Amino acid sequence: MELLDRYLHAVKFWLPKAQRQDIIAELSEDIRSQIEEKESGLGRKLNDAEVAAMLKQLGRPVVVASRYLPQQHLIGPVLFPVYKFVLKIVMLCYLVPWILTWIALMIYDPAYRAAHSGRALLDTVRSSWAAFWFTMCLAVGAVTIVFVVLERAQAKSDFLDNWDPRKLPPVRDPNRIARGASIFEIVTNVVVTTWLVEATWSPLIFDRFGIRITLAPVWRPFLGAIVLISLANLAFSAVNLARPYWTSSRAGLRLAVDILGSGVFAWLCKAHIVAEFTASGLSAAEIAETTNAINLWIVKMFPYAIGVGVIVLAFDLYRIIRLKRAATPSSGSMAARVLPTSASG
Amino acid sequence: MTHSNGANLFDNLRLELRRGCLVVAVLAALRTEQYGYTLRKALAEHGMAIDEGTLYPLLRRLESQGLLFSEWREEEKRNKRFYRLSHEGKVILKQLLAEWQSLNASLKEIF
Repeated sequence: MELLDRYLHAVKFWLPKAQRQDIIAELSEDIRSQIEEKESGLGRKLNDAEVAAMLKQLGRPVVVASRYLPQQHLIGPVLFPVYKFVLKIVMLCYLVPWILTWIALMIYDPAYRAAHSGRALLDTVRSSWAAFWFTMCLAVGAVTIVFVVLERAQAKSDFLDNWDPRKLPPVRDPNRIARGASIFEIVTNVVVTTWLVEATWSPLIFDRFGIRITLAPVWRPFLGAIVLISLANLAFSAVNLARPYWTSSRAGLRLAVDILGSGVFAWLCKAHIVAEFTASGLSAAEIAETTNAINLWIVKMFPYAIGVGVIVLAFDLYRIIRLKRAATPSSGSMAARVLPTSASG
Repeated sequence: MTHSNGANLFDNLRLELRRGCLVVAVLAALRTEQYGYTLRKALAEHGMAIDEGTLYPLLRRLESQGLLFSEWREEEKRNKRFYRLSHEGKVILKQLLAEWQSLNASLKEIF
């Protein structure tokens, strides 16, 4: 019976202290009864291999012990779908902009590309990979801890039962353009563009308190481009206001305008647009140094400009894909059938 | 659906179906006092085979819910834990049997 004793000892290890003796005594009695019955049937003692086969059929000690334990979980089945959804959002918000910005920098920034090619690229990938996993683990860990706390809280309270169906969010048509958003775009475009033209028409954009800021001649073509893009956006918002549904052609046009806008904005960051920054009491060398520092600071904004541009373009692309999917009858999408997809326009 | 998938699915659904019936079967069998091993054999003889890993935790749960009594006694020179239905267990068993008959009648009507 040495094998049986070893088996019972292994089961005992996983059992709660208070019930250990009781459970083992009962389990032992059952197994011994089974062995006795088999032995009386065979008319001889069971050998080790037969006992081992019987114990194997009973199950691994930890599995047998687990059946006596209360069901335990960090995050239960009620909160788990929400937990999974939040994790997906966290990963999407972190991973996608991270990769897209890096790709955009590699494509559009020759200096970045030169600094990260060949062996340097391998080093960058290696260090980025480590940083990526570290941040990812932190994010996943933080979300998990929050949900473990929520799980404990919901087990003790009844906040999941206290809800009102009338407070559920309305069904939203993703292809409908909110009129408020179109009006906001029109007003913002008019105000910002008017202010920009007014404030930067003359190269000397600031002349007060002994401080003078002069823009470089390269600013003028930018201003022209910004005004043109702004006019395009104005026309766009006016059409959206009149016909508030996205169509494939309008989504394509939006993408084109946003590509142009992002390009101009990124170009602006690298163009050294400040010609001179002077302040009373500064020497010529200090003026040149300050002007250069401001321009370099603007250049440093380039990766962020690329990042913002990439996020905007990703949204535009997603809109086009969504419209195409909705327009494809074979997609079988319930949303495509239930929700109005597009109006004329 | 492949044959093995279908068999797995059937096994899982059968297990689900039997899970609730097992409680009724155990309660009904314990109208007369028995210890674990004989209870398991009695259930198996009536076509309700149940392994020890399922039966003993179930007996503990039913006892903690006040539906069973248990006591350790010596029989044939060995200590055995005997179980029997409590008064509350008898009431619940009656209700469960009525519910089971009602379910059975409903299913027959649906078929």
